Amino acid sequence: MVVKMRLARFGRRNQPFYNIVVTQARTARDSRPLEVIGTYDPIPKGDSYDTSGKLHKDIKLDKRRAQYWVGVGAQPTETVWRLLSMIGILQPKVNPPLPKQRAVPKWTGLFDTKKAPASKKPNAPPPQPN
Amino acid sequence: MAPRLRSGGNGLSPLLLTCVEGLSQRGGSRPLAGLTAIIQNQSQRITTPRSSSRSPPCSAPFSTSAPCELNREQRRMWAWLRGQGKKFKTAPDPDQPGPDGDTARGNGGGPNYVGSFDGTQVFRNNKLFKSEPVLSEKARDAIFSAVVEDQLPLKAVSQKFGVDMRRIAAVVRMRSIERNWIASKKPLAKPYQRAVLAMLPQADLNPGEMPFEPINDIHVHMATMQQLFHPTSESRHFTRRDAAKAFGAHTLPPDHKLRIPEMIDLERKLASGVPSEEAHDEFVAQTARTEASRAKRLKGRRTMAELNRTRVATDRFEFRFENFNSSAVGRTGRGRTAVGWRYGVPSHDRKPDQVKIPTKME
Repeated sequence: MVVKMRLARFGRRNQPFYNIVVTQARTARDSRPLEVIGTYDPIPKGDSYDTSGKLHKDIKLDKRRAQYWVGVGAQPTETVWRLLSMIGILQPKVNPPLPKQRAVPKWTGLFDTKKAPASKKPNAPPPQPN
Repeated sequence: MAPRLRSGGNGLSPLLLTCVEGLSQRGGSRPLAGLTAIIQNQSQRITTPRSSSRSPPCSAPFSTSAPCELNREQRRMWAWLRGQGKKFKTAPDPDQPGPDGDTARGNGGGPNYVGSFDGTQVFRNNKLFKSEPVLSEKARDAIFSAVVEDQLPLKAVSQKFGVDMRRIAAVVRMRSIERNWIASKKPLAKPYQRAVLAMLPQADLNPGEMPFEPINDIHVHMATMQQLFHPTSESRHFTRRDAAKAFGAHTLPPDHKLRIPEMIDLERKLASGVPSEEAHDEFVAQTARTEASRAKRLKGRRTMAELNRTRVATDRFEFRFENFNSSAVGRTGRGRTAVGWRYGVPSHDRKPDQVKIPTKME
């Protein structure tokens, strides 16, 4: 059974508020967890007397407990991993690059009188007419 | 069309017709033209010589109608015209103070309302809507300059003007917002302000006037409303602090609940004969000291809070991570200051007596 560090959604409709929890993977999202180690408010807020318009997000996290659970092998979800990497408990997750999409040849009509357009790849060989 | 009135038994009836015609023809510009006509005619009538010594003074010489003794309603009308109604004889001049001496009502003279108007009535036809006096623009400017330009402590400004500290803070905040708006060339709602302030009674906070509001009132705690019989030895010096302890473990004595406790020393000095200027200077110095120490404590608290905080700036937002102890959940695990949304607790959003709006400035 995997112990996960994830977000449990509370708050109101269109106004989410998350508890950062440590719980078994197969339990319901909002059920009582093993431990609540913090909160995450995803809605950015401004400061009262700041006129620059800068926004911030408030997160409460028990660093000590987060380090412990990471140390004993709890698996954080994508968002929790991102938050933990911001404060240095984990390395930032580097996702592999997405596969590049090949250039689709342009449709020039049923009777292909014109030559097929050259490929966009710089070192690719010219297309052979079939 | 003037209404027809019964004549006979009343020598004033043709004059009353004239009065009503005068009112309907001339409209509102000279409302009392007819009434002044009555007064003039009556005086003329009284001075004309009588044909017979037996006929009463106000009847026509040739008339055999009954004497025109005024009935109750007419007597009351004349009494009012000579008394309260005197101020309505001439239209008010906007450049002069009004008949009730109120110059602070917008444009000087102001309207002349029939009926009692003690200045607290905001709407003419609604006697039940009474307003407390509101700070005038002059008063607000004085408060702002005392706090920002003279740099007086808030408590001293509150005592000087007799205005609550929270209201002074609100005035300073609003005035600084107004200044920012003027600097950034935003339009201000000046006509609206003039109209609303003209409807309300205003206070200029002139020295020597009644204090604007109580500034040092103590909130009465519910625990202290109970009558207690606390046995204690006669030799014991039972203080207010002991009384507060008797009411409850965490109840504070009144000395600690005063908003401006320095005023007690000020009043004691004034009562014992210390010159007023010296006592006030000492009061201002004392309040400056207490406010400086409070500011230092707040700064220390903020520095300690910042030690627990990590700020990470990304290209869009700043993420503020606050470190805390997740084990600090109180004796039952349900501490009020514990972090996290509670499990199994229903939402109180639909409960009627919940305060759902901000209750303080942050």
